[in-house]
Amino acid sequence: MPSPSDAAVGGATTNAAADGRDDRLIAGFAALAIAIHILEATLPSPLPGVKPGLANVITVVVLLRYGWYTAAWVAGLRVLAGSLLVGTFLSPTFILSAGGAVAALLVLWLARRLAGRWLGAVGYSVCAALAHMGTQVLLAWQLFIPHPALLKLAPFLLTAALVFGIVSGVIAAIVLQKLEAGPEGSSS
Amino acid sequence: MSLLRAGDLVVVSAAALLVGAAWATLWQNAGPAEYAEVSAAGGHAHRLPLDRDQVIEVHGRLGDSRIEVRDGEVRFTDSPCVGRLCIHAGWLSRSGQVAACLPNGVVLEVGGGEREFDAFAF
Repeated sequence: MPSPSDAAVGGATTNAAADGRDDRLIAGFAALAIAIHILEATLPSPLPGVKPGLANVITVVVLLRYGWYTAAWVAGLRVLAGSLLVGTFLSPTFILSAGGAVAALLVLWLARRLAGRWLGAVGYSVCAALAHMGTQVLLAWQLFIPHPALLKLAPFLLTAALVFGIVSGVIAAIVLQKLEAGPEGSSS
Repeated sequence: MSLLRAGDLVVVSAAALLVGAAWATLWQNAGPAEYAEVSAAGGHAHRLPLDRDQVIEVHGRLGDSRIEVRDGEVRFTDSPCVGRLCIHAGWLSRSGQVAACLPNGVVLEVGGGEREFDAFAF
């Protein structure tokens, strides 16, 4: 378990031997996250703005295994490349997506600094999900729909974020366990 | 590494509190109602002040609906309809709430202050 101070020094303290290895890790995880992002974009949504946010799983797994710096790269690439592929680059959706991702990363960094020792995947995931959703609602309200009715939606959206944050946190925890067990553990 | 750590429970509880607070602040700021507006089919609406307890009867298509005002709240207590949805709507006290006896053509709406709802859909 890397110590909370990793975040400050970044990817240099990960167990990756060289920068090249780090780049490949980032690219691989970003590709996975983008695939999930696009799959989710095709799912119909019960409420506007509600998505399971399963790409969050990747961010949390990377955060706990390789540190904040790598996770920030993966999340940033996902938002950028994901929006280019879905066709929302620089649209309101993209601004909301990017704003949410930045807020989530900031909160993850803070959580790591403050309570890295005691937090597991579920805690990080819930923090990130709420920061993401809260920022998106505020951004949407400030920039696009400055109507008080939008804030009335916030409790619904935050509740959904909490539930999906817990769900993707549990998934991330399971994935991390399997990764730690290694290929032998998962193939048996 | 176990699936859940101590900090996770703290974070989840704090998050649940936060979400609860969001519900509380964003969904309970409707002002108290000041008057009730009763309209019957064919007739025109009239207002009942909510600060005086009373029981009135409104003549509708099927018969008389009875409406009671007590302690700043208002409700249907009787109506000559089948479903009795208007009675089951219970006490109305927050601005914007509506109860209606559609078979009898009687609609009860409370208003005044800040409205909690813009519209209802059933």
